[in-house]
Amino acid sequence: MSKQTSVKLVLLGEAAVGKSSLVLRFVSNDFQENKEPTIGAAFLTQRCTIGTKTIKFEIWDTAGQERFANLAPLYYRNAQAALVVYDVTKPASFIKARHWVKELHEQASKNIVIALVGNKYDLVVDPETGEEIEGRRSVSVEEGKALADEEGLLFFETSAKSAFNVNEVFTAIGKQIPEETSKPQDEPSSVGRIDLNAPVDESGGAGNCAC
Amino acid sequence: MSATVDSSRKPSMAERRPSMAERRPSVQTGRRPSVIPHLAGIEDPVLPTIPDQCDVLICGTGLVESILAAALAWQGSNVLHVDSNPYYGDTSSTLTIEQIKAWCANVNLNTPGFQGFCKALLYIPRPDQLNSRDYSIDLTPRIMFVKSDLLSLLIKSRVYRYLEFQSISNFHTFENDSFGKMSSSKEEIFTDQSLSLATKRQLMKFMKFVLESETAHIAKELEQYKSTPFTEFIKEKYKLTPAQINELCYTLGLSPTPNILTIEGISRIRRYLSSFDVYGTFPVLYSKFGGPGELSQGFCRSAAVAGATYKLDSQLQSYDSNNKIATFMDGSKVKVTERLVCSPSQAPANAQNVPERKYEVTRLITIVKKSCKEWFFEGESAAVVVFPPETLPSHNVYPVQVIIMGSGSGCCPQGQCIWYLSTVEKGEKARRDLEEALAKLEESILRESEDGGFDVELTDEDVVSRPDGSISVINSVKLGKSFKEFVPQEKLTYLFKLMFTQYTSVEPFGVVNENVFKKTFKEGTENSVDYQILYSNMPSAEISYDGIVTEAKLLYSTIVGSDDDFFDVDFEDDEEDTLAAARNDSAILDDDDEFKDEMDFEL
Repeated sequence: MSKQTSVKLVLLGEAAVGKSSLVLRFVSNDFQENKEPTIGAAFLTQRCTIGTKTIKFEIWDTAGQERFANLAPLYYRNAQAALVVYDVTKPASFIKARHWVKELHEQASKNIVIALVGNKYDLVVDPETGEEIEGRRSVSVEEGKALADEEGLLFFETSAKSAFNVNEVFTAIGKQIPEETSKPQDEPSSVGRIDLNAPVDESGGAGNCAC
Repeated sequence: MSATVDSSRKPSMAERRPSMAERRPSVQTGRRPSVIPHLAGIEDPVLPTIPDQCDVLICGTGLVESILAAALAWQGSNVLHVDSNPYYGDTSSTLTIEQIKAWCANVNLNTPGFQGFCKALLYIPRPDQLNSRDYSIDLTPRIMFVKSDLLSLLIKSRVYRYLEFQSISNFHTFENDSFGKMSSSKEEIFTDQSLSLATKRQLMKFMKFVLESETAHIAKELEQYKSTPFTEFIKEKYKLTPAQINELCYTLGLSPTPNILTIEGISRIRRYLSSFDVYGTFPVLYSKFGGPGELSQGFCRSAAVAGATYKLDSQLQSYDSNNKIATFMDGSKVKVTERLVCSPSQAPANAQNVPERKYEVTRLITIVKKSCKEWFFEGESAAVVVFPPETLPSHNVYPVQVIIMGSGSGCCPQGQCIWYLSTVEKGEKARRDLEEALAKLEESILRESEDGGFDVELTDEDVVSRPDGSISVINSVKLGKSFKEFVPQEKLTYLFKLMFTQYTSVEPFGVVNENVFKKTFKEGTENSVDYQILYSNMPSAEISYDGIVTEAKLLYSTIVGSDDDFFDVDFEDDEEDTLAAARNDSAILDDDDEFKDEMDFEL
């Protein structure tokens, strides 16, 4: 029987870089052209097996609250992983990504695993040859890699459209998540958590630690 | 994934980790670093501008406004929700130490966005010992009865999934210079050594009466006590002692004033008793990492998920009711097609129509260097302490209510504890009452925690095993017996002390009644900067969440016409099947039984 670890993963990045599309590709192996801005997504879960370990990702979308950089502390709380996404064809989105990384270092827990993701890779390659087309890309691989090295992040270029490297991002994150840390260490009474879905039956008794 | 461009060349996990792009020959050959602008030196990205139109503009992200925003957004309204602060929560924020410092400065300068508060006194003796972000301090702390409209709404709206809840079992009453834990459940009354058989019988009779008070014949019986004060009613009918009456009225009932009527008192005690045994043998929950501030964020997120737009740091300057244009301090303008709702604390400067705030709540918030675990039920990290009227040397007319939050609440570091004291008493008298209650709390915790706990002989009769196997000290009155002679060996270290007064238009209420909130809604004086703004209320003195949903619903029906479709959202969907069908060729496991897509991922 493999161990299951539950991991809260938050998405960050400028509007329209394809955050939701990456998740949609990962969760349902699907892609939609001209997707509307994200409305209606709160969080999705997906299980992922890495070796003997099963990771259950609880993926939180920004729900548009990133627009004015107004994500609430609640969003970052206890996140064990984050995807900071930019668009390889949009330099401004990369600058934004730097800001999100900084924000994560300030707001999130110290041992959070962060992956920097340059999305829309399909836009810079020729679908026939797989070769990069000159002039399509605006953020170089070096640029992304340098930021990732500097800040200690995982780094990937992906395409939610072609599915290139999408699963790899999540798998790499899963491998970096230490086992036995579904809850941070400094929570003395996480056993006291009440599961609101589990009212106790008539016999009364212990109902205060159903996790 | 079989459809990927180069899935056939997938390397092993170990190889894959450093960087995918690096290994791809196409990336290496086609890359042209020279044509790509170097980005490192570029400054902050430019923020987008706010939408130029919305159906409902809501100023202030307090809990009531946040519930309203979510309800309206799910109903289909186009909501723009702003706050003048750089954080969520407005008058019910949960703040860090640094944010509290700034908040105090703003309150004392009477800055727009901080109206309705005054005389904030902050004392931090050892600033170097406080790491700002380790603390979550509630401006308006509240506890949640398990049987309550807010808890139902949290479940219905699924906002509870963003939060964590923990229980509070211990409700202490301060009496005759000591603390007693009320025997408030059936088992406790049976096993309580301090009660005589006759008293036990009377208490049980009373509890039965309360639980049946909504049946027709008891409701009829209650009619004759319509104008009798609650305390008088229990004294006459059940022959209980003044101490027991205090416990019932102020500790279990959490009545904020001494003069509540019988029906209100009974409703308050029913609220307590009926909340037992739903999730366990405790009546009350609280949200971890902060109270109303945390819940506000949850509802704002829900609103955003439904399409509401959020913008913090935006103070309303004026509202042109003829053209329905709201102007912000930064000059941006929004056309409001339906309604502008505003929290009184964030009203425009020179506002004339803010509801009159004639009631006061005075709060004293302290952080002490002590775990205070002696006050908590085993495995818990919070408690409630009440000082009934006339129990302090200041002869307090009103009770002092205290919420104790230990480190397990996620609001302070280990070995520390936050005490939230409040009273509806006014002015300097209120501050004196709170200081005296604080002194009693200090004495008590030093007394109870010295030498590792109890220096009173405890016998087996003083402890009781609960049905869940845990053991609790029932006769904690005994623990405080020699209180008067007690000379503490050590002093309590205060790390933080904040006193402030908050004004509100909501009178301290007996039970939630729409009219408490309703009478403050009015259109206002014509030609003023805030004519036709719909104001919400400053938070009430109530330390439970009761009244919050009532007010949000009232605002909702004022805007929409009725509250029939308030959160009438069917979150169940058939997305699960579609998604499960789509996941057939990946290495990822299907999560069939537990797949929790919260709602349509695509809309």
